[in-house]
Amino acid sequence: MIHSIGVKTIDGVANLGRFAIFATRAHVVSLKSCFSPKSYSLIWAQMNIIGVHSVPVVMVTGAFVGMILALQAYGQLASMGLEEHLGVLINIAVVKELGPVLAAVMLAGRVGGALTAELGTMNVTEQIAAVESMGTDPVRYLVTPRLVACLLLTPVLIVFADLLGIAGGYFVSVIQFGINSRAYIDFSAQGVELWDLGTGIVKGFFFGGAIAMISCYKGFTCKEGAQGVGQACTEAFVGSFMTILGLNYVFAVVAKAIYSTFWPVQSLL
Amino acid sequence: MIKASVQPNDGLIVVRNIVKSFGRLLVLDNVSLAVEEGKTTVIIGPSGCGKTVLMKHMISLVRPNEGEVYFKGERIDELNERQLARIRVEYGFLFQMGALFDSLSVYENIIFPIQQHHKITDWKAIDELVKQKLAMVGMDGFQMQFPSNLSGGQQKRVALARAIAMDPNVIMYDEPTTGLDPIRSDVINELILKLKRELKVTSIVVTHDMKSAYKIADRIVMLHEGKIIADGDADHIRNHPHPVVEQFIEGKIGEADLAALRHGGTKFQTQYAKDDFK
Repeated sequence: MIHSIGVKTIDGVANLGRFAIFATRAHVVSLKSCFSPKSYSLIWAQMNIIGVHSVPVVMVTGAFVGMILALQAYGQLASMGLEEHLGVLINIAVVKELGPVLAAVMLAGRVGGALTAELGTMNVTEQIAAVESMGTDPVRYLVTPRLVACLLLTPVLIVFADLLGIAGGYFVSVIQFGINSRAYIDFSAQGVELWDLGTGIVKGFFFGGAIAMISCYKGFTCKEGAQGVGQACTEAFVGSFMTILGLNYVFAVVAKAIYSTFWPVQSLL
Repeated sequence: MIKASVQPNDGLIVVRNIVKSFGRLLVLDNVSLAVEEGKTTVIIGPSGCGKTVLMKHMISLVRPNEGEVYFKGERIDELNERQLARIRVEYGFLFQMGALFDSLSVYENIIFPIQQHHKITDWKAIDELVKQKLAMVGMDGFQMQFPSNLSGGQQKRVALARAIAMDPNVIMYDEPTTGLDPIRSDVINELILKLKRELKVTSIVVTHDMKSAYKIADRIVMLHEGKIIADGDADHIRNHPHPVVEQFIEGKIGEADLAALRHGGTKFQTQYAKDDFK
């Protein structure tokens, strides 16, 4: 048993090392590609697939998050006569945590799964080796456009999720429960700071990078056969999901520390 | 074991004392080979003996654990991806299953290597080039088709057209006739001979199809259990005294395999008696 634990640990560390090398290389190549007009058409195509096509699903997710928050929290606040403060609760939850995390999880499922399946199939049918054999760096040709598209567009998609989350919460609170619209908006504006919105959006940058890196790495290292591709997709989604949650926690700790350093009084209130 | 001493300038491509293992599996065990320019070298051997791995070393798609690989006297196994790009444009590689990009049309597949290394300005010339390359493999007119609409043989021919798009000095063929019917296989054999004749290319072919090997080879090298066990022209291999070579080229099952089959049981039921066919 000790032997198998040892083997698994060594494998895990080696795999993490390979992932780190892959991710570093992908970021360096991506940075260079941003200054090379030749890559723009590839990046543009991926932006369309990854970003534009994900807008509806992210918007629907955001809208339902806002709506369900309003539905569940109204009873609690109304019993204390604080229903007009519902907007603060909904909007902070949406822009700070739920919007970014759920949008990123949706992306991990929709985009991450597709990326791994596509690159995994290319790997097992030797298409990646074919790219390499023709003197083209497969990381530059295949990974860079996907990474850049995920990095740039995940924050934008989070804005869409936030927007629809806010609208969904407003719709249920004001239209369904009849909360005064002016009070709802005023309390929301007082409670939600630009900092909350900003941290939520900046998180998207990291989430997007994690989704692209994990999905591409799993695709590039996927094992032979249909089962291999399927397994890689599952691992990519689970890996991305866990990483998003982990990163979200780390980000919350860091953001809180920064906030209390620069605005010590507000953080106490 | 046959031990060869090769120098970096002994051929266009030289592999010297390469050892390669995947995990605990030793695939190539101290293999040395110099590929002569302008000739067709065929690497034969049973499935899983390391033929493709050996060929992939020659273009640095796989790196050795030990040993060196040279192209035109320059060591290439230590170059990075960027440095290798300059070397790889001199190669054309036909993959076993074609490895055409299924999201691109036949036309886009063929211009892919050109687009990667040149800025295309004269599209008319490119159209003409694609037409010419496809005509060489008998596939002109299929430009707008997607690989999924083509048969296995057609895909291989398009992949061959892509491999020669950059007018390479070396063409590598990974089991070019596998999965094709005998007539299509012969079409591919004739194509390999035609490309050698017309483009004067150096060809390296990995196959276990002996009919194809005899037809196209200037030199045949046999790999077995990670080592080269035979090297010579078609006649030399045909009359080779080594029992493993003899068994392989004649396609005879070994005693050990027969015994295993007998042990596993190959009995079957038939609805006919022997006399029914008299």
